[in-house]
Amino acid sequence: MANVNREIQELLADYGMALRDGCLPGFLKSLTREEAKAIRESDDFWEATEMVRLMNSAGFGDKVMTPDVGLFISRVDAAIVSRQKKAGASTRSPSSSPARSRNHANL
Amino acid sequence: MEPFVRATFNIFIRHLYRYLGNEVECEDVLEDVYADIWENPDHLRDIANDAHLLRTVYLYYMRKRLREVYRRMNRNLALSQADLDNLVAPEMGLHEITEQAELRQLLHRMLGKLKARERKAIEMWMQGMSNRAIAIQLKTTVGAVKMLEFRTILKLRRMMKEYSDEED
Repeated sequence: MANVNREIQELLADYGMALRDGCLPGFLKSLTREEAKAIRESDDFWEATEMVRLMNSAGFGDKVMTPDVGLFISRVDAAIVSRQKKAGASTRSPSSSPARSRNHANL
Repeated sequence: MEPFVRATFNIFIRHLYRYLGNEVECEDVLEDVYADIWENPDHLRDIANDAHLLRTVYLYYMRKRLREVYRRMNRNLALSQADLDNLVAPEMGLHEITEQAELRQLLHRMLGKLKARERKAIEMWMQGMSNRAIAIQLKTTVGAVKMLEFRTILKLRRMMKEYSDEED
């Protein structure tokens, strides 16, 4: 039966394309057991992935379509409020242990 | 928190892009990263400069969140958890912390030292071309392009390491 597993250079090429195109989960799901084993045992693959990330960053990092920072800040604020509420709820609960001390950022 | 987000957002999102390659996921991860920083900013005391800040934020805040993005998937994957972590949220490598502009300059210099065919393949890849399109341009097969890219990327990695050793 023909070997359908990808060679290490094919795996790197597919990883690079997946990273570049923003679809890493697809690549991860596509790996067979034999391919995962080949990756684990290949030092070259791991060294090459580092370089691929840098190439991805140098080639495309500046083209990232960044959102409106103001809108993003409101998302962060909402996330913080949600955490505050959770922390408050846990301190109000009589059965809960005392809230762990917090040292909130004043950045 | 707002001034901190405004001052660091572009640096952080571009860095995260290295690992995710997807703006929407970068924003989702970054939202949690900032909330984590707000909740526990202790690691950010005594930050000396931007590079130090980015390294610290990556090591203490981003990596944890990057790993969480893929953790749920792992039940269906052939990769071990350690290999998955190393692939999606690795240790800081040689030049992972290098600033964007400096990185581009360095890469440009290294590309100039490659053979014409190797340089062309990498440049086309960095322009966003598929391996099939690169193969057509180079008048070869997709398999040969993948092998060429693999060898050239390792060559670039060695050059990068030599450069890093010289710097030290």
